[in-house]
Formats: sequence, structure tokens, C-alpha cells
Amino acid sequence: MNIKIDQKNNVWVCRMNGEIDINTAPQIKKVFDKMLSEKREKILINFEEVSYVDSSGLATLVEMLKNIRSYGGKLKLSSLSSKIRSLFEITKLEKLFDISNDEEEALRSFA
Amino acid sequence: MQISSEIKNIRIASAEVIDYIKKAKANISKNILFDIKLCVEEAIRNAILHGSKSNAKLPVEISYVIEMDRIKITIRDKGNGFNVSDLPDPTNMKNLYKESGRGVYIMRRLMDSVNYNEKGNCVTMEKKLEG
Repeated sequence: MNIKIDQKNNVWVCRMNGEIDINTAPQIKKVFDKMLSEKREKILINFEEVSYVDSSGLATLVEMLKNIRSYGGKLKLSSLSSKIRSLFEITKLEKLFDISNDEEEALRSFA
Repeated sequence: MQISSEIKNIRIASAEVIDYIKKAKANISKNILFDIKLCVEEAIRNAILHGSKSNAKLPVEISYVIEMDRIKITIRDKGNGFNVSDLPDPTNMKNLYKESGRGVYIMRRLMDSVNYNEKGNCVTMEKKLEG
């Protein structure tokens, strides 16, 4: 899994590719733990190139959301495939996460 | 198929199940394959983490067969089992922020049937491969 992080309009945009699962979750957690320790306030995860998420991946995202909210930061998600979005719907995690259709929409919503 | 209780084997085992389905059903939809891969991986993950308690020496057995256009997958571990009715509803608002407890719920939502044996160390899941 590759994780690329760029800054756009004061938002840290993270792009990952492949699968967010029990194998890759520790790598993702390590990257995000660093960003959260630096108290970065606006983080967007672009799921455009993410093909799969399992319950370990969901758990990692929930942990990140709790951490970033603990210091008043915001975490948003964008560009989920229909299958991954349906996973957020059936687990009701769509209630916790701010999910946008695409990156531009998400960036506008941070403003 | 039998695997040792190591996380790296989850993908290997699910890939074998998916390959078997693809060979039997060339036109199977990607959505159905996504659901089956996810549920197989969740069940094996539970077997390794909770059944075997990550003891790599303990095996997890996975069997699968297509019968009447339905895939039937059974995953058995050597652990002490658990009472599936004890699992809290992960979609309840008070549980939404919990980081664990979604695996069995996801399996039940995505497969047509999910049944545990009385001991709770063996799960059998079925899903129709069309429609």
C-alpha cells in the first residue's frame, strides 16, 4: 500500500491505494498517528484508489476519528466506491463520518 | 484447506476461495465476490484472533463447495468457541465508536445465512451466486 499526503487549502489530503485491511491497517495507523500527534486539524482521506476495506480497516478509521476529534480536528472521507460506501451504511458508520462524493466537494466542505 | 493461525494467511485463504468461485462461475459479479471475500476474511480473522488466540501452531480449517448455485463455506478453529448471542449490536449508537465487534455483524448482513455450531468454534456461511 502506498500512502501519499499533500496539502491543499490547509487540508491534509491522504490518498491510499489497494486494500485497507488487517494487513495494511498497522501501516496506515502509523502514518496517521504521526499526523495526529502533530495536531493537524483538517484531514481528508481520498478513497478513489481503495478497493477494499475490512472491519480492521473500519476500526482504524474510527480510532483516527476519535483521536482527531479529541483536539477539535476534522476528518473527512471522499470518493468511496459504491461497495465501500455500502459498508459504511450497513455498519451505520456513515452517521459518524463526513463522507463526500469527491475530493473537490470535501475540500469545499472544510472551508 | 488448512492454514496456520497467522494473519498473513487470511488473504491467501480468501484468494483460494475466490479463485474457486471464479472458475465455477465465470460471470460472477464483482459485488458478490467482494461480499464473499470480506466475509471469509472476517471469519478467518475471528478464528485466528479469538479462536486460536494468534497461536500460529493452531490450525484453522476452511472448506467450501458450490451446491445448487450457492457457495457454502465452513471455517473451524481449535478454540473454546463463544456465544454468538452475547455479541452487542455494533450499530447501536452507544457502540458506534467502538473499534471492534463489527465482523460477525458484517457477515450476517452480507451473506444469506451465517450459522455457528453450539460450541461457537465453527461457522458455516452460505450465499447465492446469482441475482
